[in-house]
Amino acid sequence: MHFFSQTFKYEHPWSHVVIGMWHKYPNPHCTHVVTVDVVDRSIDSKSGIIRTERVLGCKQKTPIWIVKLFGGSEDAFVREISFVDPASQVATITSVNLSLSQFATCFERIQYTPTSSGHTAFLQTAEIQARMAMWRSMADKFETWLVQRFEQNANLGKAGFTDVLRTMWEAKQQQAAHS
Amino acid sequence: MAHSLSPECTPLKHAYDSCFNTWFEGYLEPAVSPSSSEQRAQYSKKKADEFEERCGKVWVEYKQCVQKAVKDKGLGDLLDQARVENPLRDPPPAPSPGEVSSSSSSSQ
Repeated sequence: MHFFSQTFKYEHPWSHVVIGMWHKYPNPHCTHVVTVDVVDRSIDSKSGIIRTERVLGCKQKTPIWIVKLFGGSEDAFVREISFVDPASQVATITSVNLSLSQFATCFERIQYTPTSSGHTAFLQTAEIQARMAMWRSMADKFETWLVQRFEQNANLGKAGFTDVLRTMWEAKQQQAAHS
Repeated sequence: MAHSLSPECTPLKHAYDSCFNTWFEGYLEPAVSPSSSEQRAQYSKKKADEFEERCGKVWVEYKQCVQKAVKDKGLGDLLDQARVENPLRDPPPAPSPGEVSSSSSSSQ
């Protein structure tokens, strides 16, 4: 598991940052994000919290060995869930990869909160984790196969050497008997 | 405005995004100003109804289009699985101070 975190301050009021959230893409700095779709949205009529679920489509240069090994493609999709709470003035954005998620997950969380100076604090954390169960079961299978191969080869080796010794010494014995 | 994952949904997506953005900008400023929870609930209800009234129709059309596109791209099962694993129906708790640092770290 790998962890990542960073903090930053935007010199804009919280409301401007939260309005800006919906205008982030397309962005010349983030050309890897090519599509953005809202797949679900709800406004809590009591708390006023807006929950939005989006699917982001990314194009990135995946190393060819990853594509070959995992059967992925250049298109990668991410599920993003955001909550905007105007009462507490907290906005959180959680993102998890959909593509290749059977092999590894990247769980990212971003939070925007107002600072006392009227600016906005940005906090980003991420956890990147390979699906260990998958690796372990694959490793177990590989190990079992190796053990079987080793036993097989060991048996073949034993049989082979037995033959060599028998042939060698039987021949010597025959020679001795004749002389 | 970013494109939809299916070009045929892009016009509907743009219409829906514009509708939401206009509504949201009007919603947010008064929503952050302090008020009692009663006033907040009243305001939230009014604005939620207003959003439904203004953007509800285009949302139904766009949602239909994008749901099909998600399935066509083979993302339906992945999305369902992700929703089971992390429903995220409620706002997550704030990260604990221990998690916060300004540098990146890695551990096994």
